[in-house]
Amino acid sequence: MGSNIEVTVIGGYLGAGKTTLLNQILSSTTERLIVLVNDFGSINIDEQLIEHSDGDTMTLANGCICCTLVDGFAAALTTISDLADPPSRLVIEASGVADPASVAAYAHSPGFRLDGIITLADAETLVARAADKYVGDVVLQQLGAADLVILNKIDLLNESQREQVFEWLAANVTATVIESIQANVGLEVLFGIGPEQVVASSAKREPVGPEYETWNYTTPGPMDRAHVETLLAELPAGVVRVKGVIHFSDRPSERVVVHRVGVRLTLSVDGEWTGGDSTLVFIGLVGSRLLAD
Amino acid sequence: MTTIYPARRVITMNPALPFATAVAVRDGRVLGVGTAEELALWGEHVIDDRFADKVLLPGFIEAHSHVMAGGMWELPYVGFFDRGAPDGRLWKACRNIDEVIARLIEVESAMTDPSASLVAWGLDPIYFAGERLLAKHLDRVSQSRPIFVFHASAHLATVNSALMEKAGIAEQTTTPGVARCDDGRPNGELQEPPAMLLAKAEYLIIAAAITSPEAKWNYAYEARNTGQTLITDLGTSDLSNPDVLTAWREVTDDDSYPARVMVAVSNGFGGPSDPVELAQIAVDLLAKATDKLHFGIVKLILDGSIQGFTARVEWPYYYQPPENHPGNGLWLTPPEQMAEIVSAYHDVGLTVHCHCNGDQATEVFLDAVETALEHHPRWDHRHTVQHCQMTTPAQYRRMASMGMNANIFSNHIFYWGDQHRDQTLGPERAAGMDGCATAIREGVRLSIHSDAPVTPMGHLHTAWCAVNRLTATGEVLGPEECITVEQALEAITIGAAHQLKLDHLVGSIEVGKFADFAVLEDDPTEVDPITLKDIAVWGTVVGGLPFPAGSGG
Repeated sequence: MGSNIEVTVIGGYLGAGKTTLLNQILSSTTERLIVLVNDFGSINIDEQLIEHSDGDTMTLANGCICCTLVDGFAAALTTISDLADPPSRLVIEASGVADPASVAAYAHSPGFRLDGIITLADAETLVARAADKYVGDVVLQQLGAADLVILNKIDLLNESQREQVFEWLAANVTATVIESIQANVGLEVLFGIGPEQVVASSAKREPVGPEYETWNYTTPGPMDRAHVETLLAELPAGVVRVKGVIHFSDRPSERVVVHRVGVRLTLSVDGEWTGGDSTLVFIGLVGSRLLAD
Repeated sequence: MTTIYPARRVITMNPALPFATAVAVRDGRVLGVGTAEELALWGEHVIDDRFADKVLLPGFIEAHSHVMAGGMWELPYVGFFDRGAPDGRLWKACRNIDEVIARLIEVESAMTDPSASLVAWGLDPIYFAGERLLAKHLDRVSQSRPIFVFHASAHLATVNSALMEKAGIAEQTTTPGVARCDDGRPNGELQEPPAMLLAKAEYLIIAAAITSPEAKWNYAYEARNTGQTLITDLGTSDLSNPDVLTAWREVTDDDSYPARVMVAVSNGFGGPSDPVELAQIAVDLLAKATDKLHFGIVKLILDGSIQGFTARVEWPYYYQPPENHPGNGLWLTPPEQMAEIVSAYHDVGLTVHCHCNGDQATEVFLDAVETALEHHPRWDHRHTVQHCQMTTPAQYRRMASMGMNANIFSNHIFYWGDQHRDQTLGPERAAGMDGCATAIREGVRLSIHSDAPVTPMGHLHTAWCAVNRLTATGEVLGPEECITVEQALEAITIGAAHQLKLDHLVGSIEVGKFADFAVLEDDPTEVDPITLKDIAVWGTVVGGLPFPAGSGG
């Protein structure tokens, strides 16, 4: 899907589970990733997984690379662009008090493409934090910047507390919200599934997780632009991810890449259509496929 | 060997012997203060008459500045105010866009490599009455050479069309901060680092300039030209890196390096982020101090800047914020971690200097110091609120109770006072900003500072700001906060020495202290206070060695 490095920004206030999520991503990914963190102290990677470390850069046995941001984004992005064999995806951990949207601005640098902003929230403390005199506005800003909110530590809440949090979220957050325990969220939900992955690895692909289902929409010919736009705009709330490569009947020679993270949709022209089916891959909470169909 | 320097007047800043007419120096230290005749009784000596018609003060101490101030001079200056370069050259102000363009044309015509980029600094369009420097203006300088003009705020740059073409900045560029003309084409203004980074080659030229070895020398030359003998590098050196320490040692060990330097430990520019680990580095450095290189302070940063609307301010927040402003500023350190961070340094005997521009940031720092003190009572820590621009009387009272110091950003009154009154804070809060008189009234020891390179280093100017509180348009901002010339002189000498815990060594002309003097052509206590900043500076004496302004740079 083009040669740009896909960028995922992970935000969220202190203690929301960013580190847990990052560790999970690094230990379970089959895609080669590069991860930017504020400092290595926060990620506590299993020593045995570290193949090589030179202070600011660490290479893991699975080929993933971790870099610190101590020298700033200019240095980090230069390091990445200079790699002989750059990974296809960059994951940036925003600091606990940063606005992930301002971090995501770097994903518009040449050679990169913003895939999505994922903000973690601590289900247990979220409502109190959002009302805090010093950091309430920061917490709201982080949620406001998100395409996808992961409401973490949901196991620490009883049913009425859970309802209260969702009531608060409904009033304050527009992004799609998914729940998690120990930031355990399938990589497909975080990063989506590209049609080529469906074709290449559908046989051996791990299930997304019991609470999610994935389905395709494939058509041999070009698609009607208005129809696709309506389809994507009217998807049920449970659909967290759409990825696809399609072409439209009004401009059939253009290859159009579709990304939908939470509710944010990007359609980008990426070269010429070289034939094959138009395919969209959906990931949603169990039951959302039925609604979408 | 003893040298006696007769002077028109020696102002010692030692209340026990405030004035004299000569000072005797032996082995780089003050041997005695009095009359030349009295001092002659110390025995064999030479009389050095070079300061006979000058006024000697303790060398001024800049307790908040950064070494990159010296690095910017690798590049041409296009700022709104006259600015003296380390070599003594006066760069005249560029008061409007035509003058900026004229300066750039002059610089461009002297460049020999046709493909080299022209990078200039210091542009401050806030004073251009709404007019903005854009690519169309810079294209008058060159259609082929990339041009990058870095703004004084460090948040913006303006580039020409040749640069945009080279860097691929075009209509379809999606990077936020690429400002546009009405027709959607980029207009040449790049706002904030993600956009400025699109001009990567030129951005890296600035990064290289501010870390060059010459930067350290130019920094001390600039200090010398305006009377400072002790300068700080407040959080811009990574002291966990032994090479950085070696580089500082190399320059300060050189007898011809005309300044003492206090380098703060911080993790703003690399190094470990764990405060306990960093505290150990800071403690280990204490044994490596020399007469001209000092350690013992730690720099933290809590919030952004008021003029950038990124300082953390208390209710009612900002006065006339720009559209889409989120409502308050940025935290650069999580407030709830502050107590633990401050404690890590406090518990091992270090002095914490924390950047707090907004009053909410000050509050968080004071809370953290209070917690640290509850868990680990300690006398004479001298923890210091840096910038301290909106600190309230109640906060000053807490600071006094806890034994804290203030370093107040008085230069802001002149450079941004009008903007603070009209845009950022409104008239009432602007009038109380950088309130030196309140600090003194509430019993807080203070210094005042330039934050060079943010504003030019020069303590007579900084003192002038605190005494007169005149803005760039000539209005008095908060007359109740004006302090006397004597109070301002105390702030830039012994007051600054105190918060760096060096007041037993420097900050007054006193027997046993280092022979560090600011050598002035006139007496600051006798001139009209409105002309304080205009007093000519002959240069300095550091450890008994005279360093005339404008030489060797």
